[in-house]
Amino acid sequence: MNAIVFRLKSALLRFFLITLAVVLPTLAHAQSTGDSQSVKALTSNPSGALVVLRASGLFAIGGGTSTEIPLPTSDAGAQPTSLAKGADGSIYLAGPGLGVWRYNSATNSWQALNDTLPDLGVTAMATHATQAGTLYAYLGEDGMFRSRDGGAEWVKVDGGPREPVQAFLHSDMPGSMESGWLFAGTTRGVARSMDCFCFWGDAGDLRGTVSAISYDPAAPENVYAVVEGQLHHSNDGGETWANVKAPGTVTALTFSPVHGFVTAVEGGNLFAHGDVGEWTPVYE
Amino acid sequence: MNKWIGLLILFVVPAIAIASGRPASTDPAPANVAQGRQIYQQYCAACHGRQAEGAANWKKPDEKGEMPPPPHDETGHTWRHSDAMLFKMIAEGWRHPFNKTDRLTMPAFEDSLTEQEIQSVIEYLKTLWTDEQKEYQATESQ
Repeated sequence: MNAIVFRLKSALLRFFLITLAVVLPTLAHAQSTGDSQSVKALTSNPSGALVVLRASGLFAIGGGTSTEIPLPTSDAGAQPTSLAKGADGSIYLAGPGLGVWRYNSATNSWQALNDTLPDLGVTAMATHATQAGTLYAYLGEDGMFRSRDGGAEWVKVDGGPREPVQAFLHSDMPGSMESGWLFAGTTRGVARSMDCFCFWGDAGDLRGTVSAISYDPAAPENVYAVVEGQLHHSNDGGETWANVKAPGTVTALTFSPVHGFVTAVEGGNLFAHGDVGEWTPVYE
Repeated sequence: MNKWIGLLILFVVPAIAIASGRPASTDPAPANVAQGRQIYQQYCAACHGRQAEGAANWKKPDEKGEMPPPPHDETGHTWRHSDAMLFKMIAEGWRHPFNKTDRLTMPAFEDSLTEQEIQSVIEYLKTLWTDEQKEYQATESQ
């Protein structure tokens, strides 16, 4: 009897070990694939293709195909984290250790715009909604910098909101004393200022760490923010917010002239938001 | 000889200044500032404070849901605006777009003050800012 029990136990143990040996690498590979596909930032280029910053690289997705855009050559440790489209359609890439770069689609090359920044520690950037040469960069404790000449000269304009900025947006929503509004996603929620940097105040009472923020250029009072993976929408310029059902844990947002409102969810899939609230996959 | 030099200074230097399209000095004339101070005290101080210190808690909406009058000294944000924008706000008034009321919380003064008087108020406000702020505002005004 004992011998039978012993054999049974041995067989079970062997089966368990073999299962582990087969399943674990598969799980690890799946996890690694998911991580490499995760989307850190989204925007679109002038031809309407989505520009997708994944952990594995930068890609332009349009017409059902995906084309890799080589990232700029930078020091080890540089982390591309932010994408923005200028008013003239130029694509900008930024991140800690990277500073700010502009992509030249004619030559397929990147131009560094860092000569007059104090350092490369750009944790968030934004482009002016209507002025092609106006860029904004947030450098943590160094504060907020603005360039009005496409990145040739950066000038410190403000310290920024009290909490660190994770995501940054310029909007041409009406009502500003100057030319628009700045929205900053911070560790406390969404902060808002006119683009004169008059002062930063809370945009409503949405609380939590904001990882992505976007707005509808066709209806600028509509602002979207991601707080801890959950999508929120304001239809009054950030005064009030409502939760929006998303097709997963949201990691990035953009408005595309072709697809409309697009979100990226954990795992790397992209979804476009339809007129009646449905989410349609955006295929590569 | 001294008379000729005196005449040269009297006529040529102002002519060069006029030809260059700007006054010989960027500092506002003291008379303008004095006039601006007097107009500020008469029309603006009741809301923005006699020392231009603004309302307490001016960064948060008050009980009516209106943004209170901000300071105009170095603690406020007036120095962040160009001359043209400051002129527009004084002349046409201003309502913060997120105010819960519809009224102009900053009244329009275009029917009460002449353009020159509004300009003199702006010149007075500039005397309340730091040198760095004046430099920033001068750049914004270009």
